[in-house]
Amino acid sequence: MSVGFIGAGQLAHALVKGFTAAGVIATHKIMASSPDTELPTVSGLRKMGVNFTTSNKETANRSDVLFLAVKPHIIPFVLDEIGPDIQDRHLIVSCAAGVTISSIEKKLVQYRPAPRVMRCMTNTPVVVREGATVYAVGTHAEAEDGRLLEQLMASVGFCTEVEEDLIDAVTGLSGSGPAYAFTALDALADGGVKMGLPRRLAIRLGAQALLGAAKMLLDSEQHPGQLKDNVCSPGGATIHALHFLESGGFRSLLINAVEASCIRTRELQSLADQESISPAAIKKTTLDKVLQQPGVAAAGGPKAAVSLFNKSNPGRKRN
Amino acid sequence: MEPSEVKIGFIGAGNMAFGITKGILLSGGVLPRNVTVSAPSSNNLGRFQELGAAVTHSNTEAVAASRLIFLAVKPHLVPAILREVAPHVTREHVVVSVAAGVTIATLEELLPPESVVLRLMPNLPCMVQEGALLFSRGSRAGPGEGALLKTLLGPCGLVEEGPESWIDAHTGLSGSGVAFVYLFAEALADGGVKMGMPSALAQRIAAQTVLGAGRLLRDSGRHPAQLRSDVCTPGGTTIYGLHALELGGLRAAVMGAVEAATERARELGRK
Repeated sequence: MSVGFIGAGQLAHALVKGFTAAGVIATHKIMASSPDTELPTVSGLRKMGVNFTTSNKETANRSDVLFLAVKPHIIPFVLDEIGPDIQDRHLIVSCAAGVTISSIEKKLVQYRPAPRVMRCMTNTPVVVREGATVYAVGTHAEAEDGRLLEQLMASVGFCTEVEEDLIDAVTGLSGSGPAYAFTALDALADGGVKMGLPRRLAIRLGAQALLGAAKMLLDSEQHPGQLKDNVCSPGGATIHALHFLESGGFRSLLINAVEASCIRTRELQSLADQESISPAAIKKTTLDKVLQQPGVAAAGGPKAAVSLFNKSNPGRKRN
Repeated sequence: MEPSEVKIGFIGAGNMAFGITKGILLSGGVLPRNVTVSAPSSNNLGRFQELGAAVTHSNTEAVAASRLIFLAVKPHLVPAILREVAPHVTREHVVVSVAAGVTIATLEELLPPESVVLRLMPNLPCMVQEGALLFSRGSRAGPGEGALLKTLLGPCGLVEEGPESWIDAHTGLSGSGVAFVYLFAEALADGGVKMGMPSALAQRIAAQTVLGAGRLLRDSGRHPAQLRSDVCTPGGTTIYGLHALELGGLRAAVMGAVEAATERARELGRK
């Protein structure tokens, strides 16, 4: 079985690294393509032994399982490009946030009556085989297609099938989640440094604390609230610290973050549906270059701003 | 001492004394005629008489007629009362002070040496036998006296023993906590009114909601976080409401309230 990646950025790189570490596929059976050869991930992929090309069509022709690992707004153009090359054997797996299975199938049925499409949402820790992946199967995907994808993705972390309408929420939670964790770890390390620890040690200990806590929770039947109680001795250090977290609205910040990411994902989806980027942009896949095209609207303009504090959700502004 | 034989006296006839009296008589473990209540005025004594208890205006009479004495007067009256009754307090007596902020050390200082003293912090719902009571033993009070008090007060609600250092926290959490719950219930009702419900109905529903949730919490034995999660269907009404609460910093506010009340109790205890 050959695996191809349309797109050779962070996601492709992370997945390849994970798959090869897990030994589920040999690197010479993997091909990746991107028009931009300057990406740092491209040399990373090459070093791992992946076949690299600038031709998306070549990747499609040489693969059985084809991962679409490009930015959401590029997807329509990629589909138009490789559409004619899709065969019955192909399994298309889109990893693009917010891009629906139906929008992909709509494009591909112009070229093929029953394209086998699946959609997955994974995250960067697949690179260390601790990814969190969900997938949904399309109209023409068979049961064993789902099983195959699940096997692949389970080799690099947790993987489960979901209804497609939950994928945006998953994006908000575990797709973006590592970024929340990195931010938290950076700040925890700052706290450690403030209290006298050397930075490297502070980072090491902070990361281990979160890793250990996550493992405890995954292994436990108990509610995280209960596990929190177990750590908080009466009048002790931890409960004092937690009060600070609560005063700062820690919990609501995290809820807001997941919500904002989910909402933004949905916005990106409707932008992709609009196909507002010119076909010329397909040759230049970095967003900056795309935006330099005349008449192209910025994907993150004010109209698309995520707002949680609207009429229906009057949260109190924190000072 | 068998509970039913114990002679019990109350110095003070206010709500706390009444709530405890009701509770201990309700269990049937104490005979009404074995209860003597003293207060300077007759205003509050009627309801004790209705229960069948003996009443008097003489504190020393209440002490003489009892083995177990509840000191249920306002804190600033305690020194004077103890000076008055101290000559009549023997080693056989068990003195239980319900006065907020009056430490065991103070009580033992004002009473004869070798006096058996316990300190009790009840809360208002003792009046409906749903109190939360924490007591602490003085230097001469043994496990036997603790067990007696626990058995006696059982019908008043939840009775636990702890070191004296916990009593201020108990005051903040449960003594004042009752008022925090009233505030929350009022706010729930206001929310209902805002969304179109008549206020009287909203208040009754709010009260029942607090009561019902409280019973489920107490009787299920499960962690409140687990019960909360169980109510939250994905994308449903409750999780939206909870998000608003978190945005409002409710948890921190409540922790702060318990802390503020406890600190104040400690302050008062030092005076």
